[in-house]
Amino acid sequence: MQNKLTPRFLLIGLVLVWGIWSLWPSIKLQTLSEDEKSALSEQGNLEILESRAIKQGLDLKGGMYIALEVDIPTLIENIAINKDQKLSSIFEDIRKEISASPEADFFDLFSVLIDKKQLKLSRYYYDYGSSTNDITSALKEEAEDAINRVLEILQNRIDQFGVAEPTIQKQGNQRIIVELAGVQNSERARSLLESTALLEFYLVKDVTATNDLMIKIDQILKKDKSVASVAKELKSENKKLDSTSNDQAVSVSELFGAAEPSEEADSAIVDEDIFAERPFSSMLRSLGNSIGVPEKNAYAIKKLIEKPEVQERLASIGANFLFSHKAEEYALTDGSVEKMYALYLLDDQAELTGGVVEEAKANLGPQGTTSAGQPIVNLSMNSDGARKWAIMTGSNIGRQVAIVLDKKVHMAPNIREKISGGGTLIEGFASIDEAKDIAIVLRAGALPAPVDIVEERVIGPSLGADSVKSGTQSILIGLAIVLLFMILYYRTAGTIADFALIWNIVLVLAILASLHATLTLPGIAGLILTVGMSIDANVIIFERIREELDKGKTAKAAIDGGYDRALTTIIDANMTTLIAALVLWQFGTGPIRGFATVLFWGILISMFTAIFVTRTIFNAFVNRKGFSKLSI
Amino acid sequence: MRILKNSNFDFMGKKSFALALSGLIALAGIISLVINGGPKLSIDFKGGTFVAVQYTEDINVEEVRSKMGTINIDGQKFDFSREEVKHFGDKTAVSVRVPHIENSPSNFAQKIAVHLFESFPNKIPANMTEFVLSKGVISPKIGSELSGKAIMAILSALGLILLYISIRFEFKFALGAIAALSHDVLITLGMFSLLSYEVSLPIIAAFLTIVGYSLNDTIVIFDRIRENLKSSRRESYTDIVNQSINKSLSRTIITSLTTFVVVFILWLFGGEVIHNFAFAMIVGVIIGTYSSVYIASTLVIFLHDNAKK
Repeated sequence: MQNKLTPRFLLIGLVLVWGIWSLWPSIKLQTLSEDEKSALSEQGNLEILESRAIKQGLDLKGGMYIALEVDIPTLIENIAINKDQKLSSIFEDIRKEISASPEADFFDLFSVLIDKKQLKLSRYYYDYGSSTNDITSALKEEAEDAINRVLEILQNRIDQFGVAEPTIQKQGNQRIIVELAGVQNSERARSLLESTALLEFYLVKDVTATNDLMIKIDQILKKDKSVASVAKELKSENKKLDSTSNDQAVSVSELFGAAEPSEEADSAIVDEDIFAERPFSSMLRSLGNSIGVPEKNAYAIKKLIEKPEVQERLASIGANFLFSHKAEEYALTDGSVEKMYALYLLDDQAELTGGVVEEAKANLGPQGTTSAGQPIVNLSMNSDGARKWAIMTGSNIGRQVAIVLDKKVHMAPNIREKISGGGTLIEGFASIDEAKDIAIVLRAGALPAPVDIVEERVIGPSLGADSVKSGTQSILIGLAIVLLFMILYYRTAGTIADFALIWNIVLVLAILASLHATLTLPGIAGLILTVGMSIDANVIIFERIREELDKGKTAKAAIDGGYDRALTTIIDANMTTLIAALVLWQFGTGPIRGFATVLFWGILISMFTAIFVTRTIFNAFVNRKGFSKLSI
Repeated sequence: MRILKNSNFDFMGKKSFALALSGLIALAGIISLVINGGPKLSIDFKGGTFVAVQYTEDINVEEVRSKMGTINIDGQKFDFSREEVKHFGDKTAVSVRVPHIENSPSNFAQKIAVHLFESFPNKIPANMTEFVLSKGVISPKIGSELSGKAIMAILSALGLILLYISIRFEFKFALGAIAALSHDVLITLGMFSLLSYEVSLPIIAAFLTIVGYSLNDTIVIFDRIRENLKSSRRESYTDIVNQSINKSLSRTIITSLTTFVVVFILWLFGGEVIHNFAFAMIVGVIIGTYSSVYIASTLVIFLHDNAKK
């Protein structure tokens, strides 16, 4: 008998050694103090240790999860040549369709609409083929390629940003998942990912042109009934209010259905008579070289600019309005301070784009310049860019050039002299960190298409720590009670089962570590279910053994009988759960998958520990010299 | 130590009472589900924005709610005073959930968090990182994908389990098991609806755990029935089922009790994130144990008797 058991013990021993070996890095990592960690990381050994330890999910460790989607309609629209009204109306329809039914496929809609409106695709995409089918499939490839490029660029940005263990992966055809564990400043990481990094240089329209346009827009909007009627309403409202209080402000944003009226002042106070006369310019302030938009009016101004008649007017003079990238405080003539965006009227064609940038570096502005001590980004351009930049600056001395990043104006300095050599700098950053991040995105290059954040989850570090602490604590208490109960109820047999159970947990964790799997809260739930199943298997066996003993069988016969009878029960019960785990793994995303992974391995291991391991130990007990009665 | 020895309860004799009870609870749940237009889905499935923040002192939910009525983002005004605002864990933390809105401003969650930060200057920690416990934005697109996947997963799991049990046992056992599972999930879902708890992604994981647990329980009893059917031919089908339930009773009680203890402690001390998950598990353990006896076995007897006629 002794000989029969030896190979079983050998196998059990080997598995145990493997389990502890796999789990060792995780245990070591948990017990390290901060000092020891930093010492290890200096040697470069911390990363090796971390890569071999169990990864904690974002819900446990804190961090951010972002799912991005490449804006395919914009991408396809951008690469079209000879764009016209017909084509842009198609894209507008597609966007409406997609926002109404998010599952719709862009290319399906595109083909249908192109057919319906009888457009010749070769007119806009002759580089991509001649027949509609050829072009559509070439555009599809272009879209796929764009996603891969976006993936690469984001990878590049994150590498330079410096986060431990970033995960970036493609999911499906157009989604990219980014997971950054333990990121402290989620806002920085977010803007780094979201930024298209489209750098453009535009000439600013001169003051006369700007003033002319403002007058025209006021006239246009005066005719617009929706604006005019609100002005009238405001007038009558204010008359009523005059009797009670003069403090009542007029909310311009009410106009656009943004919200219900409230008692608070929500937009800069506008005299309603002036508003009726000049609906556009009355909401603006003069900032000398540029136009100021009080922060509270920004939404209303944006809405007014978006109106088709205003857009038409802008297109007719080849101009476009862009806002500054952030609101700043300006002192007004009456001594008060107001937060305002600057609004610029620019040419609608860029003089130069970021494609010419060769190197971008964040710095503090050199002494003796206007940007001394301010965070700046130094750019150097390639030879082509440098040549164009020199021509452009040379022929526009005295005019303003706007440096625009992602459709937001960062600065609009006056050109004082011709700049040759292709160097320039961007200022207007809140901090050196922001400048560094912009330098990163400029170096990594612009995304071929804008990206939308479709899902974002940020778990603060303290919440993660709290859930781990209270979660583990309560699981340990629960586990302790169960272990104790098993010993009390089944004596020696219970102790053996407890041993198998602890071992079961160790092995599941060891497998997670060697699979580089991530442990999340649902994963812990899976572990609890596994523990339950493992206990259950032993309970089924023990109850069977007791039944056999009741029938008057010897200890050895009872153990053999009990195990044999329980075996089919346990296998059938576990197989069904295993099926459920496999299906969940197949269909589930993130958290559900974590649950399924733990459950799958947990059940396999619990069958091993509850059937094979405990039986081997039982047999060893029974075979011992001087064994008389089974303690169960 | 032994709790039960040679028990002989007449489980199947009380099946009409049990079925009536089940029907009543299920009906209450269904009515609540119908009235509320389905389960209260979290923004995981519907899309939306959530923010959970940590103040340094106790904070009044109503005050936060009134502040949520006047959010102003770049001149765009929002009134969220009717949306969900509640304490998160203890009384110093608050969570806010806002459904998806068309054309919401960029970085919406952060701007709500900043508003909450600035609204109570006396009760805030030193910086935003300490203040924001958790936040997120989920687009409806992700949500509807997730619902589709969850439904697919549950249906195909049920299908495969049906197949497995039909092969290993008989078709009527498979139907019994599926009926028990559906019963468990329906009742738990109904309980969530009655208590107006939200169904989120972790809750789906809890439902799946319940399904796994209940299935395990059902199979153990079925296995006994299968075994006893082979050995004794003279007794009636109902007697055999009853005997089998009694034979496996002490195992059922011990397993249910130990699992119950674990999830109960998790519910008590597990913390905010896991609280509702543990609640679903508690309901599931109780219902799962009960349904193995009364729903699964009862249906098997019913199908057996009907087949003979």
